[in-house]
Parts: sequence; structure tokens; C-alpha cells
Amino acid sequence: MNARAEAAPARVYVWEFPVRLTHWTIVLSVVVLAVTGIYIGNPFLTVAGEARDHFVTGTIRVIHFYAAIAFALAVLARVIWMFMGNRYARWPQFVPMDEGRRRGIVQTLQFYLFLRRDPPPTAGHNPLAGATYLAVFGLYFVQILTGLAMYSASAPVGSPFGVFSAFVPILGGLQTARYVHHIAMWLILGFVAHHVWSAIEVALVERNGIIESMVTGYKTGVPDEEAKSRDE
Amino acid sequence: MAAKGDWLVGELERRGVTRREFAAFCSTVAGILMLPRSAGAELAQAMATGRKPTLVWLEFQDCAGNTESFLRAARPSAADILLDTLSVDYHETIMAAAGHQAEAVLQDTVSGQSGQYLVVVEGSIPTGANGAYCTIGGRSALDIVREVCGSAQATIAVGTCAAFGGIPAAAPNPTGALSVADAVPGIRNLINLPACPANAANLAALVVYFVTYGRWPPLDGLRRPLFAYGKTIHDNCERRAHYDAGQYVELWGDEGHRKGYCLYKVGCKGPVCFQNCPEVGWNEGTNWPVGCGHPCLGCAEPDFWDKMTPFYAHLDGFPGFNRQTHIDKVGAWGTLGVAAAFGAHALIQIARRRGTGDAQDDSAETGETS
Repeated sequence: MNARAEAAPARVYVWEFPVRLTHWTIVLSVVVLAVTGIYIGNPFLTVAGEARDHFVTGTIRVIHFYAAIAFALAVLARVIWMFMGNRYARWPQFVPMDEGRRRGIVQTLQFYLFLRRDPPPTAGHNPLAGATYLAVFGLYFVQILTGLAMYSASAPVGSPFGVFSAFVPILGGLQTARYVHHIAMWLILGFVAHHVWSAIEVALVERNGIIESMVTGYKTGVPDEEAKSRDE
Repeated sequence: MAAKGDWLVGELERRGVTRREFAAFCSTVAGILMLPRSAGAELAQAMATGRKPTLVWLEFQDCAGNTESFLRAARPSAADILLDTLSVDYHETIMAAAGHQAEAVLQDTVSGQSGQYLVVVEGSIPTGANGAYCTIGGRSALDIVREVCGSAQATIAVGTCAAFGGIPAAAPNPTGALSVADAVPGIRNLINLPACPANAANLAALVVYFVTYGRWPPLDGLRRPLFAYGKTIHDNCERRAHYDAGQYVELWGDEGHRKGYCLYKVGCKGPVCFQNCPEVGWNEGTNWPVGCGHPCLGCAEPDFWDKMTPFYAHLDGFPGFNRQTHIDKVGAWGTLGVAAAFGAHALIQIARRRGTGDAQDDSAETGETS
């Protein structure tokens, strides 16, 4: 570890373990939730024979529910970490409160529109990405809320999940909750498509090891904002 | 008027309802109320000896479907027995009186038995044009409901129109129709019995419960009695095993339809509708919509006409598109579009960098030591 750090002195520890763990938990659970969710919305498999011999949709729903629990816990943990983690994990990365972050959003937009050669150098989330993730977290909450509301309708009697039925009227009824749940899924999948390509693009253009950083936690050749703020 | 004593059995026998049929009715009601079997005798005792409650039935913006549902039931019907259990002082569809005479009966009840009579409201209450869309005896529905429900012991809103506004309140709601709860906020002891129409068996059970115990059964957040609206149709559906197995009707009359498979894919709203149809059934338990191969329309839910449509699709189309456009089709193309756009963006970005050939400067700018 030390030898590698010396060979590349600009390596900066950006993503702490909880950030990486929640990231990959969300990735996995979103994939599972989308696949099972699309099936639940349109169960395209039809099995022959007696109903008592099969449990296809039932099984897929159970997988969906367990993946939903993993997803919700990961999102919750990540939100808590916004108040506990290092500066790259904290909430100001997502909420553009200061002038610098807001200017960074414009600069990053210019970069994406080919109006600017390079994105503003950032170690953590670039300001535009951070603001986007705020919207994505919003979608996650919509999914968790609508999901729990729908689950409450068939929660067993006495199940603690029954309390989420209180959300049903707020969401405009279960059918509306279904609809919102479905559309928000496609918005999240649209985000996933963008996210993967943007990561590849940034990795190629900036060569800062952004993709590996999501495994190792280290980026290369980025300003060490954490150290800078410690010095100040 | 209130009456006491063992009048009921004699009265029923006079009408050709035997003691055995009466006992069967009481057992059925106990079942609907999810009370133990032994409660049947308790209900029979209470109905035969208890006070005879007075009931007023008001109709506003409705199709009289709830009245029909209630009166068309077979013998010995809930209606037969209930009409004998209750003193129905006012019911526009069935009363013999008309005009001033009928309105005078209503006034007598309201002033003479204040706080002691029950009101059944059928239909929504129009509030547009100062209530001119529905007037009875020169008074607006809103006026009547305020007065009559205001001094009632309890109000039962039967049918989705009275309970949630129903079809008259569906967009664009030209008459400004409201449910009883919204038209007269803070009304005392309001119970909603939605469904289009409300199930006569549930109404009978509700009244019998009240006559027996002198109070109302537990309600949910939408003021619906839990015995009838505690579970979704889906969770008590006789076709549920087919849903869990993965056996669906794809097209009307296909093999799955003939075999009685789940109607989920042809738009059944059973998973989002709370009612006891699968257990109680309709027409004296003969059958119910899903039982005879038609998907549930979700008629017992608020705003069902706006929210449960299209009735024969699982979900509405994507917003901004034709309602027939499947949501997944738009979503999939949109996601592919995003992927293609960002893929192209990445390729352009890389090509531009290669073209200018100043990759070295990039790394210097971003602070990378090479």
C-alpha cells in the first residue's frame, strides 16, 4: 500500500468504505429491483399446469421485497453518512450552498456542452453530479415511500409495515402510488445509463481513476480538498 | 317510531320469512362481521327485542344503484329483514307519500327524533351554482344534508358517490360534487360504505351490528368499517393462487381466461382495492365480478373513475403520451436514448481530445504528475 502511494503521490483517499459499500449495494439492489419490478408490472412468464405446483410471481415478489429492504437500508445508511463521513461524503457535496459549487455547476455544464475543454477540478463529486445525486436521492425516497405504502396494503395483520398505510392517502391512493413507483423506476434507470457513460467518459478524459476509486477509495491527480481544509 | 318487544319474528312470519331463514340471516351477518359463530344468536336476540331504529334514506346525485342493490336482493333478503328491523320513515324511491306530505315526514323525524335516527346518504352532493344542480322540495342537497345529517345519531354514506364523490365528482366535476364527509365537515358518526353499488350485505351487517351493540364497528382511516374494507380484494381473491403461480389471462376468451386464471394483466385493480367482495359475493353470494371472469374496477376506492382507468390496463399510459402507450415502452426507449446520447457524447469527447493531440496538457491541468 505504501509503495503504491509513493509511486503515485497524488493519490487521494476520497470514498470511504461506507460510501463504497452503500454505492455497490444500491447498484446491485437497483438492478435486482428493476428486473423484478418490471416483471411484477408485466408478468410475462405464464406457467402451465396446476397453480399449486408453481410460485413464479410469488418468488419474484419475495426477491423484490428483500432487495427493497437492502436498498432502503443502503440509502438510509448513505444519508446518515452524509453527516458523519469525510468532506467528499457530506451533504454540502449534494446541496450547492456556496458560490463556488454553483459556479462549478455552470462550468461542468459547459464542459458537457463542449463549451469548455475541462471540467472544474474536483476530488469528490463534481458540482453538477452532486446536484444530480440530490435529485436521484429524491427519486430513491419516492421509491421507498411508494413501495412501503403498497407493501402496507398486503402486510400481514399486526405487521409493523402496516403503519405505512398512512402514506397511501398522501400519495393519492394505491393506484397512483403504483404509477409513480413505475415512472420513478424508469427515471432511475435513465440516470443509471447516464451515470455509467459519464463515469467512463470522465475516466478517459480526466484519467483520475474514477472507476477504480469506487472500489479502492482512491482517486489520482485530484486536489486533496480534505488536506487543504485541514491546513487552513 | 321506536318500538319494543318480540315484534320482529311475528312480523317476519307474516311476510313469509321463517324463523329458520331469520336465523340463517343472523349467522350470515355474524360471518360478514367476522364475529364468532355464536354471535348469530346474540344478533337475533338483539334484533328481535331491541329498539327499532328510525332510518331516513336520502338520495342526491346518484343512479339509485345502491337502492336497487338493496331492494333487488333475493328472499329472505337483507332488505326484507332490515326493513322490518328498521322503521324507514323516508326513502324517495320506495315511500308511498309524495310532495309536501313526504317532506313533512322528514321534518317530523328530524325535529321529533333529533339525535336518535340514522341517515343513509346515497349520491354525491353538488356544491356548484349554489347547489342548484340537485334540489328536492325546493331545497339544495347541501342544505338538506346539513340539516338531516346534522341532527342524526349517525350517517352512513352508501356507495362511492356519497362516500368519495364517485362518478359525479370525476374530472372535470362540472357540478362541484363532493362526498358527504367533504360537504359537511365534522359530521357526527359518519361511516363510509363505498363501492359501486355498496354491497347490501355489508349495509345490513353494519345496521345489525349497531342495533345489537349500540355502537359502530372499528373503522379505518377513510371511515370504512374494517370488517368489510380491512383487506384488499387481491389478498382474499379465489384466483390468487394463479397470480402467485404466474398464470394470467392475456386476452379475453383465451385459454387462461377459460381456466379461470388471474386477471391482473387485463387490468384487475384487486391489489389496490379494499372490499370483501371475494368473501361476501353479490346477489346473495351467487358470484362476484372476478368470479365470473371480469377484472375488478376498484369501484370502492376514492376517485376510482379518474385513477383506476383505463379499466383494462394495469397502469395508465406515460404522461404526455396517448393513454394506450405502454409506460414500459416509453421508459425503455427513453433509457436507451439516454444511453445512446451519453455514449455518443463520450465518443465525441475522446475524438476531440485525440484530434487536438494535447492529452499531456490535460494531465498537467488536473494536477496529475506524469
